[in-house]
Amino acid sequence: MRSLQMGLEAKLESDLEPWLCYYCGECSVECPRDAEPGETMMSLRRWLTARYDFTGISRLFYLSWKAELLAVIIVALIAGAGFLLYGFSQGNITQYNGPDAFLPASSIHIFDWTLAAVLLALLLTNCARMWWFTVGRDTKVHVPLSAYVRKIYLLPTHFFTQMRYARCEQKRPWAIHLVLMLSYVTMLILIMFFLAPMWSGPAVKWSVHVFGLAATAGLLVTTIIFLRKRLKKSEVQYQHSHETDWMFLVLLIVVAATGLVQFTLHRLGLGTAANINYVIHMMAVVPMLLLEVPFSKWSHMAYRPLAMYFADLKAEEMVSKAREAVGAPQAA
Amino acid sequence: MEDLKIGVFICNCGTNIAKVVDCDAIVDSVERLPYVTVARTYKYMCSDPGQDMIQADIEEHGLDRVVVAACSPRMHEPTFRKTLQKAGLNPYFLEMANIREQCSWVHDDPVAATEKAAALTAAAVLRVAHHEALERRSVDMCPNTLIMGGGIAGMSAALDLADAGNRVYLAERSDHLGGNVARADLTAPYLDSARDMLTERVTRVVEHPNIDVLLESQVRKVDGFVGNFQTTIRGKADDGAPTDSVYDVGSIIVCTGYKEFDASRITHYGYGKLPNVVTSFELEKMLRAGRVTTKEGRVPQYVAIIHCVGSRNLEFHAYCSRVCCMTALKYAHEVKSAVPGAYVSDIYIDMHAFGKGMEDFYRRSSEIKTLFLMYEKNDYPVIRKADATDDCDMLIEVNETLSGETIEMPADLVVLMVGMEAREDSEEVAHLVNISRDKDGWFIESHPKLDPVATTTDGVYIAGACQAPKDIPDSVAQARAAAARILARTARGKIEIDAVFAEVDEEKCSGCRMCNELCPYVAIEFDPEKRRSHVISALCKACGACVAACPSGAITARHFTDKQIFSEIEGVLA
Amino acid sequence: MTFEPKIVGFLCNWCSYTGADLAGTSRIHYAPNVRIIRVMCSARIDPTFVLKALHDGADGVLICGCHPGDCHYSEGNYKMMRRYPLLKSLLADYGIEDERVRLEWVSASEGQRFADIVNDMTERVRALGPSPVKAALEADLAER
Repeated sequence: MRSLQMGLEAKLESDLEPWLCYYCGECSVECPRDAEPGETMMSLRRWLTARYDFTGISRLFYLSWKAELLAVIIVALIAGAGFLLYGFSQGNITQYNGPDAFLPASSIHIFDWTLAAVLLALLLTNCARMWWFTVGRDTKVHVPLSAYVRKIYLLPTHFFTQMRYARCEQKRPWAIHLVLMLSYVTMLILIMFFLAPMWSGPAVKWSVHVFGLAATAGLLVTTIIFLRKRLKKSEVQYQHSHETDWMFLVLLIVVAATGLVQFTLHRLGLGTAANINYVIHMMAVVPMLLLEVPFSKWSHMAYRPLAMYFADLKAEEMVSKAREAVGAPQAA
Repeated sequence: MEDLKIGVFICNCGTNIAKVVDCDAIVDSVERLPYVTVARTYKYMCSDPGQDMIQADIEEHGLDRVVVAACSPRMHEPTFRKTLQKAGLNPYFLEMANIREQCSWVHDDPVAATEKAAALTAAAVLRVAHHEALERRSVDMCPNTLIMGGGIAGMSAALDLADAGNRVYLAERSDHLGGNVARADLTAPYLDSARDMLTERVTRVVEHPNIDVLLESQVRKVDGFVGNFQTTIRGKADDGAPTDSVYDVGSIIVCTGYKEFDASRITHYGYGKLPNVVTSFELEKMLRAGRVTTKEGRVPQYVAIIHCVGSRNLEFHAYCSRVCCMTALKYAHEVKSAVPGAYVSDIYIDMHAFGKGMEDFYRRSSEIKTLFLMYEKNDYPVIRKADATDDCDMLIEVNETLSGETIEMPADLVVLMVGMEAREDSEEVAHLVNISRDKDGWFIESHPKLDPVATTTDGVYIAGACQAPKDIPDSVAQARAAAARILARTARGKIEIDAVFAEVDEEKCSGCRMCNELCPYVAIEFDPEKRRSHVISALCKACGACVAACPSGAITARHFTDKQIFSEIEGVLA
Repeated sequence: MTFEPKIVGFLCNWCSYTGADLAGTSRIHYAPNVRIIRVMCSARIDPTFVLKALHDGADGVLICGCHPGDCHYSEGNYKMMRRYPLLKSLLADYGIEDERVRLEWVSASEGQRFADIVNDMTERVRALGPSPVKAALEADLAER
């Protein structure tokens, strides 16, 4: 808070602490000066996201919601147009599966992976910048490579369990967020690796679809819960909602909803409807993956686990240095 | 000596005395002394039941002398003298032994403390046997008051006294009323106009039929005593020549105020060298003119305010000047409203927001986006000229404690919150009215807690910043308190003067006249016919200089006779 | 048994006595060896008081007044100042050590200073031992 007041940008940029916060809101409730530290941390995360991003797009989105909306709409329209053109060029709109399929699974698969590659390239670059700001250029702490390797398990651990959030006084928010996150990840895995089995025929393959349905249910329920909380401003952390918060939830709900509709239409054998719905689905998915993940709120899914990992590495290094300084034995 | 009946009353003062001194042991030791009829202890002798107990014992046992071993006589001598009076005994038949301030509060060894307390009580017992009945004199109380200083304190006191129908002589050294408040624009914490406040006061004072406003006037001499002072005031005649006038007054209130610390004494702030480093009063001048600009006439983008300039500093003044923190916040508000885009930083050690509305004011100052930077007491900020490439005039290097960072704060204008100090003429004033000053030059009050406006010189009161740094509400409170004290006395019309003075035994006097020259009050006159000296009791202050000097031992100091003091010496060493 | 000196203090009402009271209200502790007698002004202190105190068994005498220039009675302390050297030379003739009788200026706000003076004087007199006056008087009495 102090660095913010004094405008110490370089210090803030190198700080991991905003990412250690999950915005349970306890601090804002306790603050005797009503300074809203919780919302300040949230704003800091948005600022840091903008700083890590080398393209400047993130900054633009945070400063102008109209720019973000426009970008999403443009990307959505281009995606929509692209898919329609592709579909019409080589398939029949009434056909969902088979040789004449409007949008064959194989093509989608290639598209998905290309999109993933682009997204990963952008995201990973930004993550590298994050590492540089927070760990790399810190002259006071030097983390050895062995430590990075030894502690790499922290990344998936934090990612999948959100365990630090569970340490807040209120456990419910952690639970809901965990469900949302796991549902999202499940869906992602299904789409990236199990697209073909999901696509094949109207017959229900329960072994595949049970996960998809569970994930979709999880997504829909939690997203609606969050939307409601934000609309009702029910708790302290929902008092302020930035446009990026709404965009995040709206896109997610559209993706999940159209996903469910997709499943239903597909099972019902309504090919045309299914295809059209799928185009709409992709019109939400593409901006989400291309814009929201690397440049907007979604990026926190990468930055936060990374921050936990880096923080642990730095802490371990500082403790070991301190022990050395006082001549105490090093930890086993 | 006739058979006396002495009552000895030893106070426990709760645990203040009883915790260290064994009061029962003292009872035992005094009971063995000659003429002691009654000796007892009580929890709080000065309380109503305590006093009633003394009165009852006086009546029951026919006591004719009373010793109270308790707190300092400077605390309760008047209280117990009244008790004796109520019981029909002359109030001067009392002697107190100071076994609290000068015994139980300063010693921790109970054996030594009890021994000492017993000795002090014994001394009082032996002394009181030699006390004589003395009658207090009653003299007319002149209802006029001299007020030295025409600032907010002086004017407030003047109005209360004048409204009650008494004449007030308000002597002001400069050519206008208002003092230091007249130099201010607005006041913290409500941002009221100082001018409006003063105009109301000044108008009423100037128009009041009972107040004589003496501008460009200085008090040259004060003679006399409480209720009967004669003061000589040098003013300006119509043609500009100095002219002396004498006034009769019964009381004097000293409201001479303060002066500000000279900031050029602190070199690392560059005052006097860097043109845009100004003091608080210089900023007030700008604010009153309605324009805040740098020396070069530009609107400042960055304004910094530094607290504790000359205060809380062992090198200059160790004390806190009390008003500057809130005044600094006032400047933050005023600068922000004069220059809306300005970046205001407030560089302080601690934020002293002690009074009514002040914490809220502090909060409001945060809300207008003042940046607060804290520095440690002896780790002062340093101001230097910025380079040509910087977008500001000066840079202030601060070791900021809240963030732990050393930063350079830009500033186009720096405001130094200079502290208060005693005026150069405070020594002169103190001697004029016979009051004392403490080590920082502020006038000393009679008692730091219970008597903040009276002084050791009866009839002379102090009010406002001349007593210690304080803000307007406190200055006005003290001024009006002093006025109330005076009104309580003038309402009686007469004043009782202590019966203690010196007397010449004409039979013993050899007419050597040594005493005549010694008296600082010229209270001893020589009768050439009788060839004897004689003390004018109304003028005598009982200092005893003449008593000690008389080679014939002809002068006695009532209530401080040689016999009385000798018995005290005996008692103390028994 | 350490020798505990008995010191009589003559303090003027306005400055030094008030200063001693201030030491009390500030709870500043000091040695219990000084027994205070109040006078209105140091000018009242007749040299015979000092002699009587020494005669009656005091090991030391402390005289306190206002700082020069600050006397409540204008110049009383100057009068004390003038008498003092004569008194001291008289005492010296009697063989009474210089440090047994002391003149100090203590103002009403100097509680700590008063305590320091008492402590310092107590130690100095302790070092000198019991007053020679006592011994001389006893010898005198024994002779008779």
